[in-house]
Amino acid sequence: MAKTDAALLLHFYEDMLRIRFFEEKIRDVMLPQKLFRGSSHLSLGQEAVAVGTVHALREDDSVISTHRGHGHAIARGMDMEAMFAEILGRRTGCCRGKGGSMHLSDASRHFIGENPVVGSNAPMACGLALAARLEGSDRLVASFFGEGALNTGAFNEAANMAALWSLPVLFVCENNLYAISVPVEKSSAILELENRACSYGLSGRRRSGMDVMEVYETVRGLAEQMRAHPAPVFVVFDTYRFEGHHTADKQSYRTKEQVLEEFRAHDPIHLLERAMIDDHTVSLDETIAYRDRTRTEVEEAFARALEAPWPDPKEALEGVYAPGPEAAAASKGVV
Amino acid sequence: MAEPRMRDITMAQAIRTALREEMKRDEKVILFGEDVAQYGGVYGATTGLQKEFGADRVRDTPISEMAIAGMAVGAALAGWRPVAEIMYCDFLAHAADAIVNNAAKWRYMSGGQFKVPLVVRSPAGGGAGYAAQHSQNLEAWFCHIPGLKVVMPGVPRDARGLLKAAIRDDNPVVFLEHKAHYTYKGLVPAEEEVLPLGVAEIKRQGTDVTLVAWSKTLTFALEAVEVLAEKGISVELLDPRTLQPLDVDTLCNSVAKTGHLAIAHEAVTFAGFGAEIVAQVTEHAWDSLKRPPLRIGAPFVPLPYSQPMESFVIPQVADIVQGIEGLLDGTRTGAR
Repeated sequence: MAKTDAALLLHFYEDMLRIRFFEEKIRDVMLPQKLFRGSSHLSLGQEAVAVGTVHALREDDSVISTHRGHGHAIARGMDMEAMFAEILGRRTGCCRGKGGSMHLSDASRHFIGENPVVGSNAPMACGLALAARLEGSDRLVASFFGEGALNTGAFNEAANMAALWSLPVLFVCENNLYAISVPVEKSSAILELENRACSYGLSGRRRSGMDVMEVYETVRGLAEQMRAHPAPVFVVFDTYRFEGHHTADKQSYRTKEQVLEEFRAHDPIHLLERAMIDDHTVSLDETIAYRDRTRTEVEEAFARALEAPWPDPKEALEGVYAPGPEAAAASKGVV
Repeated sequence: MAEPRMRDITMAQAIRTALREEMKRDEKVILFGEDVAQYGGVYGATTGLQKEFGADRVRDTPISEMAIAGMAVGAALAGWRPVAEIMYCDFLAHAADAIVNNAAKWRYMSGGQFKVPLVVRSPAGGGAGYAAQHSQNLEAWFCHIPGLKVVMPGVPRDARGLLKAAIRDDNPVVFLEHKAHYTYKGLVPAEEEVLPLGVAEIKRQGTDVTLVAWSKTLTFALEAVEVLAEKGISVELLDPRTLQPLDVDTLCNSVAKTGHLAIAHEAVTFAGFGAEIVAQVTEHAWDSLKRPPLRIGAPFVPLPYSQPMESFVIPQVADIVQGIEGLLDGTRTGAR
């Protein structure tokens, strides 16, 4: 575990706990009680990548995410009540009940949103980064995707474009070893995933995604470099997806033992706790207090969200189009 | 009021004029696409714009339609007004994910937090011998997607005025130009003119039949109207100009006046946009119709290369004339 100041570690710890408890609420309460529709994709086990990456960015940097994006949203500071309400389909949801678990977004936090079409957010990240370049801003764009997205045309077109035009896109590959059920060794012709960056002349890194400080320090360094010299960077964080692809996944493609013994042995939250206790940053009792406090925070957000009103069904008809200039157009045909 | 001063220019010049005027007016308007900068676009619609506005705002991209369209969505979300060119509308198939899944949906899925002000310009249509993969008319695909607007201008004045409106619109607009139509000339006001999306124009007044046509087929329809006039048939020619939003009121009012409806378009008839126009009129103006409506479009085949076959498949002036004669005298054989 890399060294850093205690306050930052505790901040990361709290956010990782928020993600953990938020998603455990989905798994343990919302799923059995059928409180959400469609599917929900949990990032349990991947908390360190979300927290370490997002906290290494500036508030005005844009983040665009995947279907497995609750963690990115929470790390971005999104309101958990609005997130729960969205997943519950309530009017007070961050997207007014139009998006659900796979489409959380918060414009005020430059959380452009989750994009569950695999690979599809990489070209969008290029556009967001192009905007920053044209504005003369040193804002960055972080584009999260799983290792499965590396094989899409969209990712490869975007990587080339970003490198060609020196667009400050931080391509963050969360290598959780499985694209739904297909293990990375059966989907990628080379397992040195960081070398995929070579084809586009962008620099590639590969780090552990289980150590939040390693993630943070890596991204902080890259972000600093990108602000000084705009260019895309490609970073692979090796991580584990503790749960299935989505909440209904029976995980026939891997064994329980593998998940329990191999994956959960590297729990990023346990790793951080152990490191902080060893460093005397916190005591064991204090970690328990942190857990209790964060769990209560999540409980309360969930309880409030459950009280939220349902949308009027007719709200489904609103918000397809932004008001356009023709709304004001006179019928004479010329505006 | 004095008549506007008019200039006779081509479709390509009209499009270029709109782009230039909007780029001058709003520095957030940027252009990119394959061969649009140095080369000026394969059909010359963007000639000289990089020289005028610089390499930051007018950019050549690699052959990467997914990235071009996706990048346009991202730039639009960040407050810019990208106009992306996809060299042939057939290649919109590559770009469809960004247009259909992202551009059209982002505002809605976010509960109205974002807007996506982008324009995708793309040449459509046949008649120039490019065969099946470079000649399609795919407007019906995009009209079917809530969140998109779809424009297909038929004359230079509309191309210029509607493209300006499309660029100013805060929604994603698919702007389909006809590739065999870029050299078609027409009068355009010398002064600035912005035409609203969603407003049809009656191009010719008439009393016997409402003929709806757009894009290059409009020019065939204009000729057909003359031929039919000589035969004593008075055609009201309506160009919807924007297919999404569709000006249903003007359409139904015209049919109420004429009692007959014919639609001519270059796209395949089956599940083409003409079917939507028929549905709108039969639902909203059924009592106005004296006979079943008629669609004049392409048969259900990819576009062939050889000239006689291509002309056979694409509806021509004579097809429109015969179709309308058959509709009015009751000898019609229905859509081919």
